Amino acid sequence: MLQLLKIDLKKLTSYRTFWIICGLYFFTLLTTTASGMEFLKWLARTIEGFGQSININRIPLYHFPDVWQNLAWASGLLKIMIGIMVLISITNEYSYRTIRQNIIDGLSRKEFLLSKIYTNALLSVLSMVLVFLVALVTGLIYSSRLDMSYMFEGVEFYPAYFLEVFAFLSFALMLGIFVQRSGLSIILLLNSYLIELIIKENIDDYVPWLIKYFPLESIMNLVPMPFARYAFQQIQDYVSLEAVGIALVWTFLFNYFSYLRLKKADI
Amino acid sequence: MATVLSIQNLTKHFGKIKAVNGLNLEVQTGQVFGMLGPNGSGKTTTLGMLMGVTNPTSGSFYWFGEEPTPQLRRKIGAVLEHPIFYPYLSGQRNLELNAMIKQCPQENIPHVLELVELTERKDDKYKTYSLGMKQRLAIASALLNDPTVLILDEPTNGLDPMGIAEIREIIRKIAASGKTIILASHLLDEVQKVCTHFAILKRGNMVHTGPIGDVGAGAETVEVNAEVENLNEVLLGFSGTASVNRENGVYQVTMRDGFHGKDLNRFLFDKNIVATHLVTRKKSLEKQFLEILAESH
Repeated sequence: MLQLLKIDLKKLTSYRTFWIICGLYFFTLLTTTASGMEFLKWLARTIEGFGQSININRIPLYHFPDVWQNLAWASGLLKIMIGIMVLISITNEYSYRTIRQNIIDGLSRKEFLLSKIYTNALLSVLSMVLVFLVALVTGLIYSSRLDMSYMFEGVEFYPAYFLEVFAFLSFALMLGIFVQRSGLSIILLLNSYLIELIIKENIDDYVPWLIKYFPLESIMNLVPMPFARYAFQQIQDYVSLEAVGIALVWTFLFNYFSYLRLKKADI
Repeated sequence: MATVLSIQNLTKHFGKIKAVNGLNLEVQTGQVFGMLGPNGSGKTTTLGMLMGVTNPTSGSFYWFGEEPTPQLRRKIGAVLEHPIFYPYLSGQRNLELNAMIKQCPQENIPHVLELVELTERKDDKYKTYSLGMKQRLAIASALLNDPTVLILDEPTNGLDPMGIAEIREIIRKIAASGKTIILASHLLDEVQKVCTHFAILKRGNMVHTGPIGDVGAGAETVEVNAEVENLNEVLLGFSGTASVNRENGVYQVTMRDGFHGKDLNRFLFDKNIVATHLVTRKKSLEKQFLEILAESH
């Protein structure tokens, strides 16, 4: 397993595009999650009356335990960047035909796929660890009092966030293996939410119970949007096991479809 | 002699096209086996199936008497069609990556780089290499795991005459070290110079197989010229002449079995004719190749 991960990292770590995209991704992840208070201040300055009707310092964006879900959700929006990196990595193998040479040199098709999946897992773990650290540090800075009894409430959003990123990267990998062309697959990835939205809107009146089983919907449902709670609305502040189950099944299917496709294709 | 590769009824169809059609073939240890055929005759498809990148429609093949597995492929060095590497990696890094895939020690790299004379350029990016250097890096990569079998598909494609000579020299060296080589090419001269055995494919069917030594057996052709008016009639008067053609300013005499150039020379001398030009030509692989292809309609 480690050997396969090393092989894929060897391909990526000398690739400048990889460092640029990953650098941008992790940098954006860091700054976006750490600058929430600045964002609120900016809102207060720009929007007339915002600061008066709601005192921004009273919004516990970075207070334990709110910070866990808030940052996990916000970080989830950025996973599209790393998804594009995964697409570039796999479609390069097709455009350079190196996937063919890898198999000739003695990787099995399954091992080739696994090397890509392990990299996806590594990127997901790194994302999770980074956001977790940002949440921990900002939480310690902003929380008015620390109480161990509820400080780590909601930390289960981090395994859920890991699954969210990993499931999405599995989806991107599958898209790359089926489409094989980088430009087209990136456009499809960017439009996939829109396509799913159109389908969902059209069937909403007939089979509303089906919506939560849609692949991208199920990924979104892992960490629900938390900010409505600051407008005094009820939100789901826990990880739904059903959502995890559905997302796990999709993650398995994405990778399994990739495997079937690779196994049958002449490379 | 041990069988390295045995192919049984191997078939590949792409839709309606029969790229390879019921191929049967055996390659023995130490052979330099040439696979000949015009473009589109199924050479690369066959090699693709042998190396696990093309799924056969039917039929089977065995490496070293075993069912093919990725582990076995690591013991075979192969370059199919054209060199394939990561363009943004240096030659050295590409080889390091291949060593990881083949699970062989990184210490082998300097040796193979030396063999193909790429040591000086090893740290430059692959995309800056000339075509000849790319081909040589591909051969270095194929040799990385010290394989017992080497598969080369058109290794001299697109090279200049010096590049071709270099690659030929490398192939000679490798063959001399006792490795089995399977060489696909449409450069017949190439195959005749380095191969011990050969097979000819045509539209997915094997139309001929045998040792290269058999080429040139059979009827001899003698090129003659002399400063006499009626040389054509004189030549036709010789009892060993099967036919006479005038080509490129000389007479091409195809001999009957049992007659040779020296018999013709003596005959002419007896007639008081001194030849200004007399060359015995064995049939070239090229000629035989074209004959076989023409016969096998």
